[in-house]
Amino acid sequence: MNSLENLDESRALEFSRRCVLGRLPSGVIPGDDDDLVETEVLDSMGWVDVLISIESATGLRDFGGTWPEGKAKSIRALADMIGEAQRKPPDENTREPFAAEPRDGPEASIQGWGYALGSVTVEADQIEQELHLPPHKIRDGAGIQSLRFAAATEDELILGQRAADIALEMAEVAVEKIDFLVATSTTFLALPSFAASLHSRLLLGESSGAFDVGGACAGMIYSLAVAKALLRTTPQGVALVVASEVHSRRLSASGAPAEFRGLFGDGACALLVTRAADTNQKSSLRLGDFVWGCSGTFASSLEINVRENAEMTVEFKGEQLAHAAITQMDRILEVLENKSGRARAEADYLALHQPNPRVVEILAERAHVALERIPLMSRTCGNLGSAACGVSLCQALTNLRARHDPSRPPLIFMAAVAPGLVWGGTFLFGKR
Amino acid sequence: MRELILSDITVMGPGYCVIGLERVGSANLDASASAALPTPESMQAADLQKGRVCARFRSVRPLPRIGAAWPKTFPYSRGSTVCFLPAPSSAVPPHLEDQNTHGLATAGEAVSEVELVDMLRTAEVSANLEELFGCELHTDTQAGNAWVDPGSATRSICGCHFRNVRFRVFGDPGDLNLRAKVLLESGETLNSLPVVDRDWRRFFDDLVQSRSKSRTTLELEAFLNRAIRKELLRARYLFARIGLARGRPNEGKCWLMLDSLFPQPNPAWLGGA
Repeated sequence: MNSLENLDESRALEFSRRCVLGRLPSGVIPGDDDDLVETEVLDSMGWVDVLISIESATGLRDFGGTWPEGKAKSIRALADMIGEAQRKPPDENTREPFAAEPRDGPEASIQGWGYALGSVTVEADQIEQELHLPPHKIRDGAGIQSLRFAAATEDELILGQRAADIALEMAEVAVEKIDFLVATSTTFLALPSFAASLHSRLLLGESSGAFDVGGACAGMIYSLAVAKALLRTTPQGVALVVASEVHSRRLSASGAPAEFRGLFGDGACALLVTRAADTNQKSSLRLGDFVWGCSGTFASSLEINVRENAEMTVEFKGEQLAHAAITQMDRILEVLENKSGRARAEADYLALHQPNPRVVEILAERAHVALERIPLMSRTCGNLGSAACGVSLCQALTNLRARHDPSRPPLIFMAAVAPGLVWGGTFLFGKR
Repeated sequence: MRELILSDITVMGPGYCVIGLERVGSANLDASASAALPTPESMQAADLQKGRVCARFRSVRPLPRIGAAWPKTFPYSRGSTVCFLPAPSSAVPPHLEDQNTHGLATAGEAVSEVELVDMLRTAEVSANLEELFGCELHTDTQAGNAWVDPGSATRSICGCHFRNVRFRVFGDPGDLNLRAKVLLESGETLNSLPVVDRDWRRFFDDLVQSRSKSRTTLELEAFLNRAIRKELLRARYLFARIGLARGRPNEGKCWLMLDSLFPQPNPAWLGGA
């Protein structure tokens, strides 16, 4: 514990009251034993916000991340959990997560980028009606104003192709120059795989490779890591990285809970990555080191399975997942600060995975990051899965291009988490 | 007299090879069908339901009195309606559409490009490579063009929807060769089709003329694959007609060609050249 040490029972109760009341409108004073979520004093994201604020204030790692089944979400329960956490022996696994050490070697830079969203815009209230959700569940609860859905004629390939075409045009690179395509998609389930199908769709050369990378919402970061690593061995030093998701079609045919389905939109992003030694463009941003990991503690917070009858089942613990995402992405930022040697306050933008805008808002508060430095596409598009942090990065890169401040080299932090809990991060930096 | 709606005008040696659509049966395309062009997806769904495409048009290659090519002064365009008096023919596989004529005459109004593509969709169409010419396709090189055995092919022209196209420019200034790589609906690709479409070739010549002589083939290619391709892919319909060249004596191969590429090029697209 950093700021608050050894809270006794009564101080823990008082502390819990303050944390809860600080997140409620003035005049609302719940009883210590009231279930705050069941009585709708707090919505699920509000509850996560309380847990995060207690974790931040006490330093109790993953406080309330896995809330005991059947236990009321009350002020008294919070105090009990604080006491219980204080009595636990220190976490054995407190060492810093693995992070690649900086190495001398060829660097990779981003030469072009682009994204494409499903062409149908659906307002949050319409989604709430269609999914029979309580009014404002999506708009206020998740902070999503609208979602972008693929039209009937659009799929992962079409969106991916659109994004790639934009990136290729920006980079002014002919497709014959591309050594390999790294592609990631959670919703594309067919064979030939997404990478192979997209390779054909883009009419890439036959000597250009194509392979798929998993990782779900962290897939874009993992794909960039793969691309950067492989670029050193390729003749032209050019890789195309694409993420594309059409959740609407996949989830509409599933037994996923309505509040889960209502969070997701459809979109794609593409990045043209080149060996930095091959370009003299000072303006292009270079890819820094990557960090990654996988923590099974929260593996059950989102589980998607395909049954024998091909029906998709979704087990979704929204609060637990949101909590885990916030704390993990904050930790990734911490590691990236060490890796880049620059504080998060110096970052021009943070391209983050965005489960929903409320999660990002809570993270921004916890991580002491101004919200305007996080391109918040999820507010108008929804959660774009593997494309989320990539689309966010594209927006950040576009904003940076418009900025002319040669005195300050640009910096972007990128972080994402995915079911598993798989996580990854990197940073992009400019040279003076 | 038989009537044709000209669908393909292709460069062949010093002249042009011409193909037209002949109505089979009495069904007319109604106006509403033309206004609301079917998408490739709806066409595929319809094909699945019917088991096959119900052809309402078929391709006929009218030949002049002498040889197979019409002179450079050929006065018609795609969509023109022409009529002809048939002459005795002895078509040789795979050019079974060949029809000797005593010449062509104008026969009324032309159809628009949208209407023409709509008609082409009801003529010979294939969704994949195997069914293009009813026989196996061969390639000699990895990135090269495909060919068929003349004796195995059951036709010499076929339409197909495509999803993507990229151009390649080969040769020296003054003798440039335009080729296209085309992705079919099936996900299969035709890697290096010579573009023999008269109007695309004219467009390409205009592009070459409009650019400074110092421009390289790579720059031409880049312009085609960025600005022009972007315009092309914006169209509501992406449809190609693939034809078979007449084999060279003793070669035993009929090479594939890009006879028509819809949408047809718009001279205004050269604005950025």
